[in-house]
Amino acid sequence: MSATGRGAIDFARQFMPALAAAAETVKTSGSLRGRRVGIALTLEPKTACLVEAVASTGADVFVAGSSHSTKPEVAAALADAGIAVFAEAGASPQRVEQLRDAFMDQRIEYLSDDGAGMVRRIHSDRRDVLPDLRGVAEETTSGVRPLRVMAGEGALEVPCVAVNDARTKLLFDNIYGTGQSVVMATLDATNAQMAGAAVVVAGYGKVGRGIAAMARALGGRVTVTEVDPIEALAALHDGHRVAPVAEAVADAGFVFTASGIGHTLTVEHLALMPDGAVIAVGGAGPPEFDPGPSPAWGEQVRPDVRALTTSAGSTVFVVADGFCANTSAGEGNPIEVMDLSLALQLRALDYLASTALEPGVHLLPDSIDREVAASQLAAAGIIIDTPTADQVRAARQW
Amino acid sequence: MSDVVGRSRVADLSLRAEGEWAIEWARGRSPVLDGFVRERLGDGSLAGKRVAVVVHLEAKTAFLATVLAEAGAEVVVAGSNPASTRDEVAAALVGRGIEVHSSRRSTMEVWESDLAAVAATSPEYIIDDGAELTVRMARDHPAAYAQVKGVSEETTTGVARLRSLAEAGRLPMPAIAANDAACKHMFDNRYGTGQSTIQAVLQLTNLRLPGKRLAIIGYGWVGRGIATYAHAMGARVIAVETDPIRALEAHTDGHDVADISTALSDADFVITATGGVRAVGSRHLGALKPSVVLANAGHHDQEIDVAALVAAAEVVAEPRPGVTRFLLGDKPVFVLSEGALVNIAGGLGHPVEIMDLTFSVQALGLHTLVTYDLPPGVHEFPPDLDRAIAAAKLATRGITLDALEESQTDTLSGLLDADTVRSWSQP
Repeated sequence: MSATGRGAIDFARQFMPALAAAAETVKTSGSLRGRRVGIALTLEPKTACLVEAVASTGADVFVAGSSHSTKPEVAAALADAGIAVFAEAGASPQRVEQLRDAFMDQRIEYLSDDGAGMVRRIHSDRRDVLPDLRGVAEETTSGVRPLRVMAGEGALEVPCVAVNDARTKLLFDNIYGTGQSVVMATLDATNAQMAGAAVVVAGYGKVGRGIAAMARALGGRVTVTEVDPIEALAALHDGHRVAPVAEAVADAGFVFTASGIGHTLTVEHLALMPDGAVIAVGGAGPPEFDPGPSPAWGEQVRPDVRALTTSAGSTVFVVADGFCANTSAGEGNPIEVMDLSLALQLRALDYLASTALEPGVHLLPDSIDREVAASQLAAAGIIIDTPTADQVRAARQW
Repeated sequence: MSDVVGRSRVADLSLRAEGEWAIEWARGRSPVLDGFVRERLGDGSLAGKRVAVVVHLEAKTAFLATVLAEAGAEVVVAGSNPASTRDEVAAALVGRGIEVHSSRRSTMEVWESDLAAVAATSPEYIIDDGAELTVRMARDHPAAYAQVKGVSEETTTGVARLRSLAEAGRLPMPAIAANDAACKHMFDNRYGTGQSTIQAVLQLTNLRLPGKRLAIIGYGWVGRGIATYAHAMGARVIAVETDPIRALEAHTDGHDVADISTALSDADFVITATGGVRAVGSRHLGALKPSVVLANAGHHDQEIDVAALVAAAEVVAEPRPGVTRFLLGDKPVFVLSEGALVNIAGGLGHPVEIMDLTFSVQALGLHTLVTYDLPPGVHEFPPDLDRAIAAAKLATRGITLDALEESQTDTLSGLLDADTVRSWSQP
């Protein structure tokens, strides 16, 4: 099993030039040497490349992972390489708790977090390890949001870098990465056709934009639902139909949620859906899709698809039980997209370790953002212009 | 039942339950085959007819075989490619009382013996893919071949082979070019192969498509579909053709068009869709970019000359399932699904909804062969049935059509009648 994981990790690394460049930069800076770094991301081949890149900078690395998205062969390959792994695929809820506590017991100094799951838990249940924690790099939109809420309430006690908000993350990972991988995972799970299908995308943030664009590229007829008038107007200008959820789902073949907010698609909406509709989550996982307190789950009709009977009696099909379709029914975002996001993660850890920051949510400096983007362009042999002296002067005139 | 088990060759009968799920899922999304076509086959004309189905053996094919068997045919099934059979589906078909000769990733020898076993049942009708069974029966089983009453053929490659057989005077029975039906090639070859090929390539590699350079070798229906979807998803497509009209079409569709060496030297993904062999061969290996991904979407396993790669490579490894890494000097090159049809060997094949159309054409092609006394030769699929299938599909989506009114038609008799012409110019 470890060999399978090793093959996948090494394959991924070949397509991650930005991460390699970031590792060189951080090795030179030396900021992570001897530091205790925790990686609490979805554990699969690409994040394993980050783990090994962090290790290559001289840090002690500890790896966490969830029970439903951890790839066991990757966990095994990392363990074989001497990395401390606190993740087991399919672990019981009890075992998940044990693993998480054991991870936090490592007195992590710098943490890569996903959804702010670990940092929130440290602030609430494991305040004993909070004094050791010196900085957090947060990967996702749904993690940055609660961190800002915490900061607003004065409850955030460590500096956090919103890696998610870097342009090289947000414009690529969330749009192209999640867009491609959520749509592809859903089609792989169902063997269904996109062309001609009515597709609902609930939420038109970056992820929703990507899903809507990919669905339309494959011939889907997209309806966007929004609560924000500006995003709704943007969806309209992008050529999508805009309607309320309750109206949009009535003839849907596919319903994708991408709001990052709980209770976006509810039991009331389910009752309005036609037989055979496929539901996939692209945002935050439960409870973004909220089938109510006692959903009438039916059979597991395909490996990643479960039937669900609605209160109206129709049967709809849910991908990956309402967890993120791309990570739970697929391999997550494409490698080259994660190359950018994980290079930013590594640079953010370096930034946290080499800069005195106040507790709160910080942006990654624009210069680092640009360096990471430039490193991937350079690897692809793509050359861009630099502003001329005249252009620089013109830009400064008033 | 035990008879069928004894006659069949499948990998593992215990996989039956999983195969049943897959076939039932296919049935649920195949309303035309499960409704409109079933009704047509309900006239009893297939009762007792021996029908061989030699198509990529996965869930949708199994549902076609089920529909034919339930219409009374004695169906025997084999896969049309040694790499593409789903063992769980094969097991479920045997469980349904249908004779099967097939297993996944069998050797060429075993696959040949499976087709020989099907030929030995002396089928009266063949639903073929690539004319694989028909050609072998013509060559190796002349007595049984002489008894075949009709063939319905699924693919571009197979129709070309049947036409060659007819020209050689070796097609003594009627054959229907199911591939050439509008409800087949316009949808299956273009949208079906297009979507499923891109899905399989991305799923096998976990790579990104937007921003990548994708070379499509061959701009027929399959090439068009892949190019259209790849472009729409953000790839920059470069097409390679030998036919000037198709090349002009690719150019006008907004793709770059180039000779193969130029295309290969720039491509991150190379997908072959020529329907021929050695579209990418030993003389092209030098032009390939490091870490290029090669995949085949055409009928032949030899469109990418994998043997040439094996001969040229210093190291061959499998870093991920379905991905072979060849090291040419210090240049890594990745081939998907060993050069077999990537969407079927490396994925789940075409979307179910597409195969609903294709297999409706195949089933009604068979029905036409059984009920009409067609002369030997290659025949087109009846156009009225073609339109009826499309109308049935639209009806399942709740889509209604307008009918042309008399006053909306442009007829020659109208043009020749001065009063009619005057009436057009009056307010």
